[in-house]
Amino acid sequence: MKFSYFWLKDLINFKQSPDKLANLLTLFFAETNISFVNKRPILEVDLLPNRFVDGSSHLGLAREIGAILNKKFNYPQIKVKEGKEDIKDYLIVNNKSKNCRLYTSRVIFNVEVKPSPKWVQERLIDCGLRPINNVVDATNYIMLLTGQPLHVFDFDKVSSNKLNKKEIIIRQAQDNETITTLDNKTYNLTKNVLLICDSNKPLAIAGIKGGVSAEVTPQTRRIIIESANFDPYNIRQTSRAINLRTDASVRFEHDIPFELTFYALELVSNLIQELAGGEILKGVIATRKEKLKKIGFKISESECQKFLGINISLKEIKNKLDLLGFQIKKEKKKEKSIFITTPFIRNDLKIKEDIIGEIGRLIGFNNIKPQRIIAELKIPEKNDIWDFTNKLTDWMKTFGFTEVKNYSLISLKDKNYYSNQDKIIDLSNPLSENFSSIRADLLIGLFHNIELNYRFFDEVKIFEIGNVYNWENDKIKENILLSSVWAQKKNNKEEELYYCAKGIIETLFNVLNIQEKDYEIQKIKNGYRIVLIKNKDKEIGRLFYLDDETKKNFSLEGSIVAFTFNVLMLKLITGKIQYRELPLYPPVLRDISLVIDKKTSIGEIIKNIKGVSSLLESLELFDVYEGKNIPNNKKSLSFHLIFRSSSKTLSSKEVDEEITKIITILQQLGAEIR
Amino acid sequence: MMDLEEIKNSAQKEWENIDSLESLEQWRIKFLSRKSELSQFFNNLKNTPLKERKEKGKKANEIRAFLNEIYQQKKNKLLDNSYSQKEIDITRPGVKIEIGHLHPLTLITRDLVKTFEKLGFEIVLGEEIETEYYNFDALRIPENHPARDMWDTFWIKSKGKNPVYTDEQKSKLLLRTHTSPMQIHYMETHKPPFRIIVPGRCFRFEATDPHHDFQFHQIEGLVVDNNINLANFKQLINEVLNEIFEQNIIVRFRPSYFPFVTPGLEVDIKLNNEWLEVMGAGMVHPDLFKKVGYSQNKYQGFAFGLGIERIAMVKYNINDIRLFFNSDLRFLKQFS
Repeated sequence: MKFSYFWLKDLINFKQSPDKLANLLTLFFAETNISFVNKRPILEVDLLPNRFVDGSSHLGLAREIGAILNKKFNYPQIKVKEGKEDIKDYLIVNNKSKNCRLYTSRVIFNVEVKPSPKWVQERLIDCGLRPINNVVDATNYIMLLTGQPLHVFDFDKVSSNKLNKKEIIIRQAQDNETITTLDNKTYNLTKNVLLICDSNKPLAIAGIKGGVSAEVTPQTRRIIIESANFDPYNIRQTSRAINLRTDASVRFEHDIPFELTFYALELVSNLIQELAGGEILKGVIATRKEKLKKIGFKISESECQKFLGINISLKEIKNKLDLLGFQIKKEKKKEKSIFITTPFIRNDLKIKEDIIGEIGRLIGFNNIKPQRIIAELKIPEKNDIWDFTNKLTDWMKTFGFTEVKNYSLISLKDKNYYSNQDKIIDLSNPLSENFSSIRADLLIGLFHNIELNYRFFDEVKIFEIGNVYNWENDKIKENILLSSVWAQKKNNKEEELYYCAKGIIETLFNVLNIQEKDYEIQKIKNGYRIVLIKNKDKEIGRLFYLDDETKKNFSLEGSIVAFTFNVLMLKLITGKIQYRELPLYPPVLRDISLVIDKKTSIGEIIKNIKGVSSLLESLELFDVYEGKNIPNNKKSLSFHLIFRSSSKTLSSKEVDEEITKIITILQQLGAEIR
Repeated sequence: MMDLEEIKNSAQKEWENIDSLESLEQWRIKFLSRKSELSQFFNNLKNTPLKERKEKGKKANEIRAFLNEIYQQKKNKLLDNSYSQKEIDITRPGVKIEIGHLHPLTLITRDLVKTFEKLGFEIVLGEEIETEYYNFDALRIPENHPARDMWDTFWIKSKGKNPVYTDEQKSKLLLRTHTSPMQIHYMETHKPPFRIIVPGRCFRFEATDPHHDFQFHQIEGLVVDNNINLANFKQLINEVLNEIFEQNIIVRFRPSYFPFVTPGLEVDIKLNNEWLEVMGAGMVHPDLFKKVGYSQNKYQGFAFGLGIERIAMVKYNINDIRLFFNSDLRFLKQFS
């Protein structure tokens, strides 16, 4: 919000340059920058929502500046010079809606509507408003000064009742009622909109914008001034519904105090008389007289010290609160406490902590001396999920993969890739079709990443760990996934890459101490899935290579393998490190090569070898060969075999016996030993 | 028997012509071993009259030291020559080791989390989809209140039947706009004293530009005990920022407003002569304690929310926030 530097200077004398002042306000009130209008400095204050009511006025800001500079600023009090004629003989106000909490009014006769003097015009322009005429300008001027939005009607354009009095009716609009506002726009209204009317037409959208029907023009001689107080929620709803935000509506949204409504009416009447002449009728029409009860608080020195962590005396507390316009009602010297009431303009102070906070603010948050926390020394509870995801991230990095973070929102087009679209969570207000649903897995994002990075790299090895969401029986289900893709643009042998990725998964399982007995592998299209043995429907993860159709869908080429794990599921089967005693006796190494039918799976062969020899400690496949010198439908396999006994050194003869067993079982499988 | 000076001269003369480690070894045996003339000289020293003994002994020691030194000198030189004969071109680039990379936000988050862990903070995680109650109402941000405007929100389209939650939480679903809902979640199930941080992803309904993205990450902090004050907050934040930036950072605290704290503060740091906002904070509003059922006037504490992207941008000199989520390897491979 814009404030005139010179206006503030007129209100409370200070020596600070605009820059200096802006800096002080930033530190003690709200972020402030400087701009200029015709070389006149303007303070642009980024008002905080809780300080809008008092802060959106030059008087309020003057008090803040005064408090910062240790100068007390009081709101000026004036007395209106009234004429003899009584307002009650000319005007009645009929409030029919609870959305109008207070309506006050004065009437002035014989005004001369003309342009405002230069000083008024300049201040309006400085604050971003357009001068119109002296009467309208006066209402805007007082709004900028006090924060209370005001309005004037042409007395003679308002219809009269049977008693020949002008009648202002405050009521809710009827559905489909229309109003044309001062800027010549017509609005279609609903019941929720509050209107200021006379007996046959709407005059203004309450608290938001005036209408043309009772507009003040150069011909206007008599005026009705409105200073009112409307329900903030209703103003906010209306403003949103008809998509019209004005200086007035924004202020009303922040809940203006009744005192301000009465106060501003007096100031504006006085100013109009000063600028446009005329007689102010005797009296004020007000729909209610009572002001709200002031809230009082007891504040003690010790409470301030405990909350802020500073040494502050009651004297200083009193001084700060006085500068901010608090009234100190009582003081208890013994217990070092005071009883205070808040300034009427401050509707943000609701609890004791708010007030202690104000003391801290005025001391300067910057000036509070830092202090170490004194607390029990204890080891915080472990977060296993956090630790585990970090461990996975580190291992993936070790395996040469680069971590990515994709958007959690996916496009409408991507949503179509999911087979079960019912489960996808949509946004009701997406930014665009490109980000309209919440991702239910991580792979689609990674596939897009491959396409992007193929422009600069032939190989893409990336992974992501992140949260994904889907509907599950009308509830939101969260999963944490680890997904990874490995793509080689110029490699057309998917199976090579597939076995490399499988090696990574096996290594990962190894470092996580995952035991074979805890999971089961099931074949799927282009790969396998890993399920929990305990519960065969629960998928832990899967590994597969991309088929041509998927590659086409995502404009990809080359060989691409992908794997994905449910992090919590994976965590469930990880084991602890367990030391096994080092072997006492030496191993015996033998190699074996065989030629066997291509269709016999290697897993089957290994299972048989392991099953037949109790002295076999481990085996390793070191060569797989198909082609020259091997029949078409056969493959050649070579294994290192390691034998060891835990109770003695094996003799050559004992190992020979084991080999014989293995050869026998392999021959039964149709293998030819070489 | 050779004179000491002669030994020295002949040794030096032969030394000059040595061009291999083998001949150097022979030279050593001849002049420095136990069978060398110099050794024999020492052996015979006891037969020399006392008067001469002292002077000759000193001289012999000097010569022995000299020969040892030139021996080492020659040895080093010959060794150097023999290494360079292996033809290593030390200027040739080494064989590349392929490594993976961690995301810059992971690096910063870990730095921050580690720092807080050292100070005894517990790590708490929350879900990215929240209810309106936890994201707003419980944090004193009621519907139709102007304060709501501070958080532009993505709302979830409800599916068929609306999800049923407990009474209090029977509210619309949204993508959390901050990590602050975890303050309520955590306090509902824990009693002070505690110190927690909540790292997590948040969303705001706003158009993207180099400084704003609709997706970002925060670390929420919450410290509650019966004596935690504002001065404690300042100390903690000063220490954490200095640790993260590995230097003495100039920090500024100024007033701000968040409905769930009072008073509210903004924390700025000064870098390259410019103030940068890095976190919002404040003393926990007593209404929150009331809402989660703590006894009144018993506890005090502070809360803060730190923008991770902002810290990463400052620390690594990144000028466009969107780079974090574009998954461009040319960007990501710069971080390890």
